[in-house]
Amino acid sequence: MNLSFFDQFSSPTLLGIPLILIAMVFPALLLPSPGNRWINNRLSTLQLWFINLITKQLMIPLDKKGHKWALILTSLMMFLLLTNLLGLLPYTFTPTTQLSMNLALAFPLWLATLLTGLRNQPSVSLGHLLPEGTPTLLIPALILIETTSLLIRPLALGVRLTANLTAGHLLIQLISTATTTLMTTMPVVSLLTLAVLLLLTILEVAVAMIQAYVFVLLLSLYLQENI
Amino acid sequence: LTRSLVPSAPAALRALPPPVAVGVLHTTRPLHTTQQSLAPLPPLPEKGGEVRHGLIPEEFFQFLYPKTGVTGPYMLGTGLLLYFLSKEIYVINHETVAAACILTVIIYGIKKFGADVAAFADKLNEEKMAAAVAMKNEAIQTLQTAIEEEKKEQWRVEGRSFLFDAKRNNIAMLLETNYRERLLMVYNEVKKRLDYQVAMQNLRRQKEQEHMIQWVEKNVVQSITPQQQKESIAKCILDLKALSKSAHAAV
Repeated sequence: MNLSFFDQFSSPTLLGIPLILIAMVFPALLLPSPGNRWINNRLSTLQLWFINLITKQLMIPLDKKGHKWALILTSLMMFLLLTNLLGLLPYTFTPTTQLSMNLALAFPLWLATLLTGLRNQPSVSLGHLLPEGTPTLLIPALILIETTSLLIRPLALGVRLTANLTAGHLLIQLISTATTTLMTTMPVVSLLTLAVLLLLTILEVAVAMIQAYVFVLLLSLYLQENI
Repeated sequence: LTRSLVPSAPAALRALPPPVAVGVLHTTRPLHTTQQSLAPLPPLPEKGGEVRHGLIPEEFFQFLYPKTGVTGPYMLGTGLLLYFLSKEIYVINHETVAAACILTVIIYGIKKFGADVAAFADKLNEEKMAAAVAMKNEAIQTLQTAIEEEKKEQWRVEGRSFLFDAKRNNIAMLLETNYRERLLMVYNEVKKRLDYQVAMQNLRRQKEQEHMIQWVEKNVVQSITPQQQKESIAKCILDLKALSKSAHAAV
């Protein structure tokens, strides 16, 4: 199995059958559905506690109308968290490294928040295009800038996630290749590189969790503006 | 679920020609209507299955023990690994190093925080149980207090007659006292009025006496003529002289 650097980013297929769907659905298999017991096992209890924590954090700034978004935001959070963390295991495929998937997640959700705002409170939504207290001369320029910033949001959301994860995975690959190559010629340098790799792995774990959280948090912020 | 229901088919269905009998679902009892589906679930086992090295169930080691002893599974694992490596079924590439790193991080994390996370999960469950148990105990306590209060009330009911007698006596005494007070008041009032009458009579008599005395004295003084006055004065002087002589003699 000789891997090039881009094999981990290609959509997995087995004998021509695309496995991308299985790769995306797999994290759901790791979450036990709460049984009809009053006291559950440790995993179910921890999962319940964690989901409660996330939902509370996301829903506190929103008013009652925003609570309709609780399910999609929490499930999005769990999905991103698990796919990102599972992608750190060797020989796994991370769906969130594909720009297509991240844009497919970001664009519709962002558009939904925008359309909700424009439909229910159009003047308030458009009012967000002009920050308070700007000097009168700057108003046209600022409106253009704010509109650009608004329209670039889905792109930013998708590309941020893709870039972070792809860069992290690529770095891990490169540094581990360097370690492997140097092991035969300069073992000491190889060990140093291994230390760098360990630190990088810890960073990647943190980045995986943070990126998932940032994605969902930004979406909830866009929702707050527009609900 | 591969319950062979054909042998238990009723005789009427067995009489049908085979193609129809094969396609028909033969059941002798209706499904999911008995209490079995609604019965309380059996209790969960206290601990999960025993696992060695966090991955391999203990049953695997027990399975190999009779034939290969204690070191059997380890030999199998080592042999398998070396086989994969030597035949290049598993190729050592950069992913191996990355795998080693991520496994180190994962195992370190589990060893360091595993017990704490488990204790936290147990604590969450314990708190849930404790809240329910506390509610139950509180309800029991409330009911017991209610029972004791009720018993005390029943004991109080027995002493009711004594209480009423005491109250009755109290009231009778009050009435009696009130009556006596009023009697005394009446007596005092009547005495005051009678005393007033007596005082009036006494005063009248005294005034009459004084008036009479004064009248008598005035008349007497008026009736003394000058002649009588001179005679009486001369007699007094003679009496005095006689007295003084007798007094001189006595001394």
